[in-house]
Amino acid sequence: MNDLDQLKELLFGAEKEALDSIAERVERREVRTADIADVLPEAIHQSHKRNQDLVDSLSEPVGECLQQAFREDPQTYGDALYPVMGPAIRKSIMHALRTFAQQINEAVEHSVSPKGLKWRWQASRAGIPFGEYLLQKTLQYRIEQAYLISRENGLLMGHVHHESSKIKDSDAVSAMFTAIQDFVKESFSPDRTGRLESADMGDFTLWAVHGPHALLVCVIRGVPPKSLRADLSAILERIHFRYGDAIREYRGDTSTVPDVEVELERCLRFEARQERSRGRGGPSVVMIVLLLALAAAFVFLGAQSWLHSQQLAQLSRALDEAPGIHLTDIERAGGAFRVRGLRDPLAPTVATIAESIDIEAGRVTSSMQPFQSLEPEIILARAIQLIGPPESVRFEMSGRTLIVSGDAPMSWRRELQQRSLGLAGVDRLDLSGLGASDLRAIRERTKALDEKKFFFENGATLADSEETALIEYAQQLRLLADDAREIRHELVVTVTGATDATGPEDINARLSERRALAAAGVLAEYGVNSQINAQPAMPPADVLPRIETEKRFVRVDLRLRAPADLQ
Amino acid sequence: MISVTSKVCVVGDFAVGKTSVAERFVNNHFSERYLSTVGVKIDTKEIDFPRLGVAQKLVIWDVAGSDRFGGKEMAYLRGANGYIFVADGTRPVTLSAIDNIHEQISEHYEPVPAVVLVNKCDLVAEWAVNDKRLESLRAKYGNVYETSAKNGDEVEGAIIRLAEMIIENDLRDE
Repeated sequence: MNDLDQLKELLFGAEKEALDSIAERVERREVRTADIADVLPEAIHQSHKRNQDLVDSLSEPVGECLQQAFREDPQTYGDALYPVMGPAIRKSIMHALRTFAQQINEAVEHSVSPKGLKWRWQASRAGIPFGEYLLQKTLQYRIEQAYLISRENGLLMGHVHHESSKIKDSDAVSAMFTAIQDFVKESFSPDRTGRLESADMGDFTLWAVHGPHALLVCVIRGVPPKSLRADLSAILERIHFRYGDAIREYRGDTSTVPDVEVELERCLRFEARQERSRGRGGPSVVMIVLLLALAAAFVFLGAQSWLHSQQLAQLSRALDEAPGIHLTDIERAGGAFRVRGLRDPLAPTVATIAESIDIEAGRVTSSMQPFQSLEPEIILARAIQLIGPPESVRFEMSGRTLIVSGDAPMSWRRELQQRSLGLAGVDRLDLSGLGASDLRAIRERTKALDEKKFFFENGATLADSEETALIEYAQQLRLLADDAREIRHELVVTVTGATDATGPEDINARLSERRALAAAGVLAEYGVNSQINAQPAMPPADVLPRIETEKRFVRVDLRLRAPADLQ
Repeated sequence: MISVTSKVCVVGDFAVGKTSVAERFVNNHFSERYLSTVGVKIDTKEIDFPRLGVAQKLVIWDVAGSDRFGGKEMAYLRGANGYIFVADGTRPVTLSAIDNIHEQISEHYEPVPAVVLVNKCDLVAEWAVNDKRLESLRAKYGNVYETSAKNGDEVEGAIIRLAEMIIENDLRDE
């Protein structure tokens, strides 16, 4: 060591040791690291207190560090976040379920009410789902007031309201709300983490949106949608972003949060209002007219439906009662009727029956299968159709007996007997009430010509005038016999001779016979077969003619004989 | 003028006249029902200080309670800009209650301006606080007033003094 070094040692020995020590600490990395580690926490603390620079500097690298760490070891961070994420997720799910339940409640409430029916109709007209329309209609609200309150001391930082809102002392309201918040938190939240987020007060709903340092309280008229809370949260976040420290350290000086009302004004823009009715709160004229029209339509449709039901019953009854128709099914489709069953061709048609009870035939469609009815009315109709009786004849059914009454020629009577043989439903004919007009006429003519006397002068010779009369009589008989034959009757002619009482009886008897034969001969000449009565005509004593000449005669007796099958 | 709003809490033992003191000078107040239900009642009072260029609004929290506060009452005191401690001059024990309450507040919150009102000074015959005790109070709290909520003695002056101190405190912090 030379003198210079010794001098340096003497003068700067202590400083040199210090310099060496500093140089060693600067040069040796581990020492330098240990030194920085000693002061780093304090340095960070001071820098953070001083200004925002440290936060700005660290935000990006710290963010990247976290991202990388999550990527590389998600399990560890997942486990660490589990206690936080679990409650957060549960809370989110509960919130969503609560919202869903509220919407279901509203949907159920409105689905069957008159308003709900009206909205259903309007939704279908608008072509949107009912649920969507329901939300639009039920979420009517308006934010009347908004308070921005310091969470630290409950002091009011800003307050806005609609002009129409009645305002009490907003500072007192702000403080009281904060007090109630604290009261609720302390009284009902065991871990003091719960918070009052909403309250209902009549027409108003009060919502509190919580930020880190401020509380946004909105007084809302009506029912707000749940999505509004997210919008309000966004406004509160914006306020926090803009005013930051001023909010955190707010001590009542509103000048530290300038224009905060401008931010709060955004809240008042949220509203969804029902369309104003044109009247003074009452239903509109159009609505009244629509309702009346709807009511009228309901009444009309109801009446129509009732009328159609009545007509259905009426038609069913008429078809059941109609002879020759068997109804198997009848149904109504709106104002029309469909009928199925069986119908005898002789029965009235379904259309005819419908018209008979004032139902338009066009409204009735029928599908009827043909069949042969054995109902008395149809048997009668069938008999009339097959037999074709004259107007003077009447048919009736009694059980399975066809009763024929009235008047008809004998020839038709024979036809009746033949044709009725194949008539379904007729086992027997009753003709006791059926008269024969032609037979009656023959009988009357027979009666008129019966017991006709022709007088003789002497012997067996007719007087001239009597002979002429007998010839004329014979001609009439001939016609009568022919007509009787037409109706299958035989005219039986008997000639009896008579004499006066003078002379012997045996001579008189022969004379009587001769006279009868003479008359019968005349009749025969004109085609009238007759038989001779061997017994002379001896009128009863009380009616004996006084004049002798009147006792010399022949008497012609007539009798109609019916054929055996008509007797 | 600068508008400032300040939170002032009125605290003290039972029946010392806290509510009467507050009502003596407030502009607006809520129903007293809140005091028995929620445990606090809010009133407001506006005071102008032209000299300071400040229009101050005091939001007065009349906190129900005794000499021991629970969690709810302590929550009400959070962020207060000033305190009005009220005691009953006819019951010396209520002055001790102020000390208890002050200790509790000091454990939870930063110190802020305060005034002490020894109330009911109109009840002269029953007055039980001697000058020595008052002096010790002044030494501890600074501003001690003998008040009467009944006839208004010193109440407004005490509150205005507190308001001034709050403004001064705020200006000093800035």
